[in-house]
Amino acid sequence: MQIDQFNSFEQAASKASVLFYYRGDVSQAVISTMGDTLRGRLTYMDAKGSTSRKLFSSFIETMQNALQYSQELPDSPGQRIGSVSVGTIDDQFFIVCGNIIENKYQARISEKLDSIARMNSEEIRAAYREQMKNDSSDDTISKGAGLGFLTLARDSSAPLQYAMFDVPEHEGDLSWFYLRVVI
Amino acid sequence: MNIYHAAAGELPEVDFEFDKHVLSMKGEAFPENANIFWDPLLATLEEYLKATDDADIVANFRLSYFNSASVKKLYAMFGMLNESACKNNRVTLNWYHEEDDDTMQSFGSDLSEDFPVLDCRVIAEAV
Repeated sequence: MQIDQFNSFEQAASKASVLFYYRGDVSQAVISTMGDTLRGRLTYMDAKGSTSRKLFSSFIETMQNALQYSQELPDSPGQRIGSVSVGTIDDQFFIVCGNIIENKYQARISEKLDSIARMNSEEIRAAYREQMKNDSSDDTISKGAGLGFLTLARDSSAPLQYAMFDVPEHEGDLSWFYLRVVI
Repeated sequence: MNIYHAAAGELPEVDFEFDKHVLSMKGEAFPENANIFWDPLLATLEEYLKATDDADIVANFRLSYFNSASVKKLYAMFGMLNESACKNNRVTLNWYHEEDDDTMQSFGSDLSEDFPVLDCRVIAEAV
């Protein structure tokens, strides 16, 4: 990256009210460190207790989801790339998180998120309670992802938004999966 | 047989004093791999409950946050306590939450609805 590219990047981040942005290997250590940083920032900004708790919870859920389900890129084995941006929008906060998935999971993820999008807050709460009792930890691709999305939907003040885009040079096999939460 | 783990990063403090029938947990639980943290606790608890009869068991839980992978395990743990209370022990669950934490408060009320045999008390504490 050239300095002028970096400058455009920085200006775009500033314009989008980004508090922080990360792209790279995702690990529990990275998640915990960023989580602590986020909490420190929220305390400094004097955010309400409930906002701070929901934002922290959503941050952990999105990042752990990225960590668990992210697909390694064939040309960089061993790396689980994720990217995340946290920032402010009016008097709220947003989290946008991205990770790479295999295309065969697209339909399943869309189905889950589309069904949550049709629920009102009561239905989300009921579905969360139902999912919590469902001890199906053997299912390796779902592994409670349903409950993770429901946790995000419960805490988000706007419907969850998501999108999938081709990974350049891996069209047809891999996609970037982006998820956006507003607290 | 007692279990004690100090709180560490994404793991809560665990103080299961089986000899006193007092099971306490405090802090935050968001391990990356929920099975590694929770399964040994559940296994030991199950063993303890099997070997315990006619006891007054008190569970003190002060959790301020847990991730979605942990919630199922927590729920399973309370299910085991409820089952034991149906059979041969008396179990009190004190579910403490910060007074302005609606999420933890409603989780506590959900527990008391779902596990009616537990003597479940949802207790607000000032921060």
